[in-house]
Amino acid sequence: MHLTKEEERIYDGEFCWANQVCMKILVRLGELFKAKKLIPISSSHVSGVSYKTLGDAPTEFLEALAKANAKVKVKSTLNPQSLDCNFLCKRLPSDLYEKQMNVLNCFEKMGFTSSLTCTPYYLEKPKKDVHLAWAESSAVVYANSVLGAWTNREGGPSALAAAIIGKTPDYGMHQAENRQPKVLVKLEKPLLDDVEFGALGIFLGKILKDEIPIIQGLEKASKDNLKQLGAALATAGMTNMFYHKLPRIKTEKIEKISVQTSDLKRTIEKLTTTSTKTPDLIFVGCPHCSLNEIRQIAKLIGSRKIRKETEFWVCTSRHIKEKAIKHVKKIERNGGHVLTDTCAVVTWTEKLGIKTIMTNSAKTAHYVPTLNKAQTILAPLKECIKKACEG
Amino acid sequence: MQPITLKGRKIVEGHCKAEALVSTKPISFLGGVDPADGKIIERDHDLYGACIKDKVLCFPHGHGSTVGSYVLYSLAKKNCAPKAIINQTADPVVVVGAIIANIPMIDQIEIKKITTGDIAEVDAHKGIIKIWKEKGAKQACI
Repeated sequence: MHLTKEEERIYDGEFCWANQVCMKILVRLGELFKAKKLIPISSSHVSGVSYKTLGDAPTEFLEALAKANAKVKVKSTLNPQSLDCNFLCKRLPSDLYEKQMNVLNCFEKMGFTSSLTCTPYYLEKPKKDVHLAWAESSAVVYANSVLGAWTNREGGPSALAAAIIGKTPDYGMHQAENRQPKVLVKLEKPLLDDVEFGALGIFLGKILKDEIPIIQGLEKASKDNLKQLGAALATAGMTNMFYHKLPRIKTEKIEKISVQTSDLKRTIEKLTTTSTKTPDLIFVGCPHCSLNEIRQIAKLIGSRKIRKETEFWVCTSRHIKEKAIKHVKKIERNGGHVLTDTCAVVTWTEKLGIKTIMTNSAKTAHYVPTLNKAQTILAPLKECIKKACEG
Repeated sequence: MQPITLKGRKIVEGHCKAEALVSTKPISFLGGVDPADGKIIERDHDLYGACIKDKVLCFPHGHGSTVGSYVLYSLAKKNCAPKAIINQTADPVVVVGAIIANIPMIDQIEIKKITTGDIAEVDAHKGIIKIWKEKGAKQACI
């Protein structure tokens, strides 16, 4: 891989240790995947912000970088952390709050923006065709597929390294030839709701490995549904992108897969792990809700109240919460909680006594049994809200 | 007994000899592996309940959360990491984890040729893995 003189000096440790470590991570990745050079990025988005998923050893790695004066070179945003400062921090042990704040302080010291969301594209939408170094697999798929930006699915530490250096190795999704579709997916029937979009993602993720599909019949799909699809696709596989509109290429020669409604039904059934009909928590907002989704939730609740027997959480970014304040107030007046900076998966729901989580997110349903040690019920948004209000 | 030699691509240098633990399914280190002890906790996984500590861990590729790199780092710091990672196709999340955790790693290996319980000698510098087929040593850690 060709390095400029300045890049070589960073690699050789002429600047600080932190820059050298970050440059070494990027160069090793680049050499491995046959990148010819490093390219500038417009922004970086890092995962590995929640103390719950990080743990102590990676926290020490972040502390060392922050102490060595690592500073971001480009706009760099953060994934959700393990709690929020209004609601969950009052219910969780204070030592966990302190440990989380320590992680956040390290990132802030390095110059990261405390966006604390898995949907950084709602804060600032990347322009089409710009190069990014984003971790958070759901945001990677959304950026490549819906926004038309170019990013690999970075591991948490390589997105961090790219933020500090301001560059990323030029390979994979940064090259046009690797963004070509390899599979044409035909759906037996149009998708009905958010859960079917998620189920399609899980189903395809498992069989595609890293191949990019064109999925027919999504021309009218909402961006929120495409977000569900992409999040699930990345959860189950390595695929970083899908086409939801037919690109201008000949599709006769590419492999074809047809997805039956029964495939999706089976996928949904498998993601529900319990027969109980009474969840302790109903959670929407994985990935974090858009303005439109919050509006929709408030509308679906209508004049009904959330039952006292269940908790109802809507997770989003501070930015969207502010924009949606009218709807947020309505949801909260009716007994729901609109949380920012975090989500059910990356907090300690088991410490709150939550044993069953109902959600409309296939990604959440996949992770809850291991990351939250809870049972899951996967159901469309409408059913989640009906359950919250009527039981 | 003559070992079988498989040649792949060096990702992280290093040398080790240990028992192979082989999966036909991809692994997500976040949510798939308990960072406290290295046990596979993902439901429906073919290695469910097995422990990756000190094994030559062979699986097709990674999937899912990008925090997986940090899980590998944590496992290494707790001495619960695999001795080496062998993949069919390496993805950036596992690669970066192996780099920062300093776990020897090779990819582009046909892992079907390796069976759980085999003794595997990994020379990641050369991208070579030597396999001794062992009888009766299967799934010793489950």
